[in-house]
Amino acid sequence: MNIWQRLRNLDRRVIFILMALGVGLPLLTNIGLPVRVTHDVRSVFNYIDKLNRGDVLLLSYDHDTGTLPEMVPMSTAILRHAFSKDLRIIGMALRAEGSAIGRQAFRRVGKEFGKQEGIDYVFLGYRPEITASILGMGSSIERVFPKDDRGIAVSEIPLMQAVHNYGDIAFAISISDDDTPVYWINYGNARYQLKFAPAVTAVMATTFFPFLNSGQIVGMVAGLKGAAEYERLIDHKEMASRGMDAQSIAHLVVIGFILVGNLAYFATRKGKQQ
Amino acid sequence: MSGNPGIWLAAFLTLAIYSFLYRDNPIYRFAESLLIGVSVGFLLVVAFDTTILPKALEPIAAQFKNMSANGASGIPMLIWVIIPVVLGIFMFARFVPGWAWLSRIALALYIGFGAGVSIPATMQSYILKQIEGTIRPFLAINSAWDVFSALFILVGLIAVISYFFFSKAHTGNFGRLARLGTWFLMVFFGATFGYTVMARISLLIGRLQFLLGDWLGLIS
Repeated sequence: MNIWQRLRNLDRRVIFILMALGVGLPLLTNIGLPVRVTHDVRSVFNYIDKLNRGDVLLLSYDHDTGTLPEMVPMSTAILRHAFSKDLRIIGMALRAEGSAIGRQAFRRVGKEFGKQEGIDYVFLGYRPEITASILGMGSSIERVFPKDDRGIAVSEIPLMQAVHNYGDIAFAISISDDDTPVYWINYGNARYQLKFAPAVTAVMATTFFPFLNSGQIVGMVAGLKGAAEYERLIDHKEMASRGMDAQSIAHLVVIGFILVGNLAYFATRKGKQQ
Repeated sequence: MSGNPGIWLAAFLTLAIYSFLYRDNPIYRFAESLLIGVSVGFLLVVAFDTTILPKALEPIAAQFKNMSANGASGIPMLIWVIIPVVLGIFMFARFVPGWAWLSRIALALYIGFGAGVSIPATMQSYILKQIEGTIRPFLAINSAWDVFSALFILVGLIAVISYFFFSKAHTGNFGRLARLGTWFLMVFFGATFGYTVMARISLLIGRLQFLLGDWLGLIS
């Protein structure tokens, strides 16, 4: 058995070990490869940056725990940006697990900036039935969320006194690992002209490119790369930026596997034909 | 290294799940079952706490209280609250063979609502706005690149739609146009695959950041 045949029959566990090393070593060494900010992420950043103090930002946590490594860095970066601009932030979730994740992120980053729950931010919790919730909030947020996630009536929360529907919300972002932002586009943007942007996992990015081209979304933050770009824009490099070193090296490993796999295939096919 | 038992438990479960990469084993199956059980338990509690309680039980209790205070004048409001709850219960009638037909009433209402709401919205977002997005670049041309870009999108759109037009044989010039459509589709699939690889690696990065950082303390 020559080297090409050995490579073609390589134990998949060797590939797993090489991939783990490709990801793990850059995390330990912190290479600091450059991250270029794309137009889509900059558009979201610029839109938030131009909002006035006290404007209301709606953040919807429409994802499960399985995609936390991508979702938490982008959610944290956006929250840091919004709190630093003194925006008022309303959090909610259209996925059950998103409510726990969102609540934690709001309180953690809110505390970092010395913000007060109920005045500077509020987390409304989870509601099932995406379509009905998004449509319902267009006419009355209180009807969809009568209480926040602490059980306090929305009518008694100072932040919510002047926020009744999408007309009072300057910008909305859905942090999602599936196609929930499509519902926001269909019902929030198309019907109520809500200014909106998705912050999605890399898997979902291509789903939203047509909406960028048609101007239905302000911009898009996609995957760990999008989170790293946002961290760079707010000048607060954290886990996403560090993760991008590992991401780049892992991509080189994958490209290496593709090249070696194809070379081995063609080399052994030639041998078989002879 | 962390002294937090919660971190140690999470690290053990992470390694238990990754042990599947070597081969299937009882530790992996234990961790998988635990994940499913915890997820279902969490969803049940959240569903009860955020839906059944505030949307069904509390409004019904409030209306009964209202009726006891105001008498029969509260009955219409009680009926208004009970109807959706009853329709929700009808959904579960599917599990009782003799009563399964009841679920069709609730489903019919749900499908009717869904279709009525989504058809105009989908037309607006996916058809009209996308047509607008294809034509609009031609109205804002400032350079040769803008011309190329606008034409590229238009040609791509027509070619891909041609590929999915099955009422005419894909032969001659039409066949060539449809084949061009497959090239555009392949670029899309390639981009999607690339993004998928990136997403999966991101998940591995997240777990390794946890293991090397939070657990072993090797990342500052």
